[in-house]
Amino acid sequence: MSHALDLSASFQASSWRRRFLQPLMRQRSAVVGLVIILAYVLAAVFAPWLATHNPTAQDLGAALQGPSAAHWLGTDSFGQDLYSRLLYGAQLALIIGFASVALGLVAGVAIGLAAGLIGGRTEWVLMRIVDGLLAFPELILAMAFMAVLGLGTENLVYALALSFVGPFARMTRGDVLQVKSQPFIEAARLMGVPTLAIIWRHVLPNVVSPILVQAGMRVSIAILLESGLSFLGIGVVPPTPDWGLMIAEGRGFITIAPWISGVPGVALAILLVALNLLGDGLRDAFDPNTQKDA
Amino acid sequence: MQETIFSLLDVERVYTLGTTGWFRRKTRQLKALDGIRLELKHGDTLALVGESGSGKSTLIRLMLGLEPASDGRVLYGQHDLAHLDAEARKRFAREVAFIYQNARGSMNPRMRIADILAEPVRLHRLCEEQAIPARVEALIARVGLPAGLLQRFPGELSGGQVRRIAIARALAAEPNVIMADESVAGLDVSVQAQVLNLLRDLCRESGITLVFITHDLGVASYLCEKIAVLYLGRIVEQGPTHDILSTPRHPYTKALLQAFPRFDAPLCASLKGEIPSPVNLPKGCRFAGRCAQVQSACLEVDPPLTLLTPERQVACLFPVVNPC
Repeated sequence: MSHALDLSASFQASSWRRRFLQPLMRQRSAVVGLVIILAYVLAAVFAPWLATHNPTAQDLGAALQGPSAAHWLGTDSFGQDLYSRLLYGAQLALIIGFASVALGLVAGVAIGLAAGLIGGRTEWVLMRIVDGLLAFPELILAMAFMAVLGLGTENLVYALALSFVGPFARMTRGDVLQVKSQPFIEAARLMGVPTLAIIWRHVLPNVVSPILVQAGMRVSIAILLESGLSFLGIGVVPPTPDWGLMIAEGRGFITIAPWISGVPGVALAILLVALNLLGDGLRDAFDPNTQKDA
Repeated sequence: MQETIFSLLDVERVYTLGTTGWFRRKTRQLKALDGIRLELKHGDTLALVGESGSGKSTLIRLMLGLEPASDGRVLYGQHDLAHLDAEARKRFAREVAFIYQNARGSMNPRMRIADILAEPVRLHRLCEEQAIPARVEALIARVGLPAGLLQRFPGELSGGQVRRIAIARALAAEPNVIMADESVAGLDVSVQAQVLNLLRDLCRESGITLVFITHDLGVASYLCEKIAVLYLGRIVEQGPTHDILSTPRHPYTKALLQAFPRFDAPLCASLKGEIPSPVNLPKGCRFAGRCAQVQSACLEVDPPLTLLTPERQVACLFPVVNPC
């Protein structure tokens, strides 16, 4: 008995590998992206141990210094250590990026599911709301929302999440409508499967993979928007270590101390490229529309 | 006297087609089923035969409760399908199983075969949770497939395997009635024979009542003891398989039989043209336009389904006397 169980368990593990890991590993650029992202995640997680200074400790005597043994990547105009701020900035960027996408995904998928499954007047009302959200570009919507909510990390997450609800809702609804008309849904209803179980077991698994691919792509947009808003001064509050803030701060000293803007700028650029590589890889590996004959 | 499972009393199904014209809201009516009377007793095996568009699939969807009847009543046992309470609906879901024409499409592509087969078992609590794997293995063995397939996904199976899994799933809930829509159409002859034998054995061994849709009279005669021939939403002839095949009384049945290829005779296309649109049915007999022995009365009178012998019914004013 236990032998049989072991067999089936190993079979499932290998089929997980076959279905998920192998197609992804076949995408070279996705692997490169994944490795870079992992490095960022590790840096963010171990920031408290890796950092050499307190990221918000000011030391005006050591302001505007270039890279040195004491300050590996130099200091900014307040004398804050750029290397430490960079690490904590990675933490913030990743948290805001993933949290806002997760929040937007949950809300958007819920709206999309409700609209697609219930239909009728409910669908009409929900989709008009979504149309309203989609009418504004993401940056404008997030800006407007920040103006109402006020500054702060938490509000930034909410604002970004709100700007992602629309795309997720519309995509989910489209996929649900397509899946809903498939015979296996009717077959399940005919067998007497309760409605909630049909949604959970038959509808969701069939719409989830394009949604996750989309989520992967959205994380990089979220991080870019977050940095942009902070750069414009309507994101997180200084002196929080944030890349957007750091770039904005270094603007005034770009000729005498280019590293102040340069360091977070390069870090941001590399992370975004890595996220996009991974996102494209995920899409190529799992979106049936782009799947090539291997 | 056997217990009656399904009775259809003058069932009609009318679809209302879209509006035409700008100001007058004109709707046209399409009668997919027109005055169907049918009785199904416990242990019966009934084949619904007819060309595409004759209403076979609509009839079976009505009997499954997937669509409401526009007029008339569909009774399951003593209950009207349109007014089942939750308890009776649940019992109906367990006792009546349907095998889809598109077997692959009727299975969730993201579920393993083992889970697909376990779902009805778990749903109707037919056995203990621990006993489910053994039960699933017994099911797949019963349709003659290796247990190794249980960990696969439907997309990884061949057409014949998927149809057998569909049969296994239908059996999983221990139904009294199995309805199958073209379950062997488009299969390789050898696979078709395997699936047919499987269905036949199941009916003989477990006494399951079978309703089988097909356009193939050969399949119908092999599998079913009774045949109902449909034409344009009406049963034109009904009776025991052997009698109908040896002495067809309706010209449509006769024409269908003649269109069936044989080794020793040249094939004559006895049915000219296609089944007409059911939107505007002609006055009189609906088969008159294609009938070989049409008479003037056929264009005036719509023949009802009448008893010829206690077991046979035919809807024709001038039933064929000389067999082909």
